[in-house]
Amino acid sequence: MEQQFTHPLEKKLIDLNLRIQKIFLYRVLQKTVLTIFPFALIGSFSKTIQLVFLGKNGLFSNWTDFLSDNLFYQIDDIFSAISTMTLGWISVIAAFSAAKYTAKHLKRDDQLAGLTASLSLLIVAYTYSRKTPMSFHSAVLGIRGLLFAILLGVFIGYLFKWTSHKATEPDSFAMSTNMLKRTEISIRPILITIIISVIVSDLVNVTFYSNLPQTIITAVSSTNPSTQPFLSLLRTFGLGLYSIIMSFLGWSGPYSTGVNLTDTSSALNLDYALNHHTAWGAPDLFNSSTLYHTFATYGGQGATLALIIAILWVSRDHDFINVSRWSLIPSIFNVNSALMSGIPVFFNVIFFIPFVLAPIVNMILATIALQFHLMPPAVYSVPVGTPGPLVAFLGTNGSWQALVFTVFSLFISTLIYIPFVKIAEQVKLQDDISIDQGGADDEK
Amino acid sequence: MMKNNFRKYPASKKGFRAIIWLFIILLLVAIPSYFTTKNDIKTLAGRYNSPLSPIIMIPGSSASATRFEDLVSTINKKFDEHHSLLELTVHKDDSITYKGSIKNNDTRPFIVVGFENNKDGYSNIKQQARWFSIAFDALKSRYKFNNFDGFGHSNGGLIWTYFLEHYYEDDGINMNRMMTVGTPYNFEERDQAKRTQMLTDFINRKNKLPNDLTYYSIAGTKVYTDDGIVPIGSVEAGKYIFEGQINHYTLITLTGKNAQHSDMIDNPQFISLFHQYIIDDKNATSPNNTDRRSVSK
Repeated sequence: MEQQFTHPLEKKLIDLNLRIQKIFLYRVLQKTVLTIFPFALIGSFSKTIQLVFLGKNGLFSNWTDFLSDNLFYQIDDIFSAISTMTLGWISVIAAFSAAKYTAKHLKRDDQLAGLTASLSLLIVAYTYSRKTPMSFHSAVLGIRGLLFAILLGVFIGYLFKWTSHKATEPDSFAMSTNMLKRTEISIRPILITIIISVIVSDLVNVTFYSNLPQTIITAVSSTNPSTQPFLSLLRTFGLGLYSIIMSFLGWSGPYSTGVNLTDTSSALNLDYALNHHTAWGAPDLFNSSTLYHTFATYGGQGATLALIIAILWVSRDHDFINVSRWSLIPSIFNVNSALMSGIPVFFNVIFFIPFVLAPIVNMILATIALQFHLMPPAVYSVPVGTPGPLVAFLGTNGSWQALVFTVFSLFISTLIYIPFVKIAEQVKLQDDISIDQGGADDEK
Repeated sequence: MMKNNFRKYPASKKGFRAIIWLFIILLLVAIPSYFTTKNDIKTLAGRYNSPLSPIIMIPGSSASATRFEDLVSTINKKFDEHHSLLELTVHKDDSITYKGSIKNNDTRPFIVVGFENNKDGYSNIKQQARWFSIAFDALKSRYKFNNFDGFGHSNGGLIWTYFLEHYYEDDGINMNRMMTVGTPYNFEERDQAKRTQMLTDFINRKNKLPNDLTYYSIAGTKVYTDDGIVPIGSVEAGKYIFEGQINHYTLITLTGKNAQHSDMIDNPQFISLFHQYIIDDKNATSPNNTDRRSVSK
């Protein structure tokens, strides 16, 4: 397979990646993201059903109108429980996995380290509320807390190293039977972790700090929208770029939550279109919904539907193909968490470039097309879960120009992703993180 | 050589089939949603519902737009809600400055309108009502809401009343509920028989008030007669304006600690009344919001 990488740049990128993959922290990040895949997969299916069929503004929510209220709410409850306890809980799983992997690598009691890390994250996210006795700041436990949870897990793994003995030889795994012995070895790091976590969670207003970047940027994004086309273009690109990078880290930017209800510029456009019965000539061509939500989010943040197509098109790697097939359905409806953790895309230096590049290129192309009036801007609001490639078509009330442009830009995005899929494949061939078990034999 | 092969056919059969499926699904989704959307947009013009329903607040005389910051943060903390706060100040030259913002997806933000000239007196109140109408028009075109609730502290209630009688026309924007605290409809006059010019004017134009309005007027008392500044009789005089004219008029008397004129908005009893009657206003959410059914029906 070596012969296909004749391009020196590709070779260079592969070598660089292989070197980055040797960094322990990076390995833990990638390994952990892979571990949460099954839960992200189930969660993303459940979330898709919630958004598309059960949500108030969902694409097919009129299909469920025939259900009686009781039955509807019962079904709604079931899916909300599944989504909340998988996707909404994913960081607890990640903390466990990261600590377990780290502790195993450092030859400490990995199971207890994992459990301690999960516990620690829950303590940090605990709300001291007198009304509801057991509740948590949900923001820290979902995808948004992923990076923090993994770093926490690694820290706790190291804490086990610093404050407890080496766990006895692997072959005496009778250790698992001798709970008292294990307690004796690991009680100190567990206790330290709990104490630190309690102090942190009591002193630090977790919700405030976890929302702080969002609060600031939202304030920036919603105050004094400029009426100058160039400035509003700059602003849409800036905030779009910020949102994409944040999504790559599992966080969210001002555009991540979907179309802004109170966005005045979109309201103006809609107002115009309703009065003139056409989207052509709407006053604000370059706002978040005409550029970002319409052309930068095929399949979710980072235009990951293009990644799926790229993989299905050129990849020979069975894991990649399988993950893409499994996450195809949720991705069509813009839920990409399964794909993000299964490939993995989260924190993956290979995919960082196309993840940012593909949406930005789409937005640039769309800006040109809009500027030269090759298509009308998407001004009508589309239902939640409308497949990415259809947003422009439906948002312009069925403009064929917009649909043709979408197909074209999706193709461009796919081409952007293809070389990186090949690089990722090659890297995986030489150093597969997914089969890495942790422990001494990795350190060759 | 291998590179050329990539262009000719997909690397795996499975992958190829999945791509086909992707486009079939997209096509299947596109056709029905195309017709639904066409249909939706046809009817959209008639029922364009902004989900935004702000709570617009006017502070009393000699207070600025920052007057309610504590109140809002207390409410957010106490009820674990996340209302945003937007503060407008209307200057003497009719210009407006904005502070704060309305967060994404916050349908119940607080909007405070203060005035550079915040002096007491009937002539000032008339002017402030005009300034308020300027701010109100700016908010209307900026945020496109179609209903709101009002709150006024002290003379803020007078500004509301003057605004409703002179500037507010029922042009598609609905005022659901209004609440005022210690609003002196007869200024410092205890005796309701002695009507001030302002009260007389208010009564004369009362038929201009929106008749579907629900209004809660809160009076505080310390020593049976007044709240330290405003006599209870003056608050009570509001009945001559509102009774029989609007949908509901309710007068609530608050006593006890913190029932003095200026402290009243820190009073926990007041805060729970405010939350119950204004923030939890069921009319404020558009009918679609309470209905689980899809909008496109």
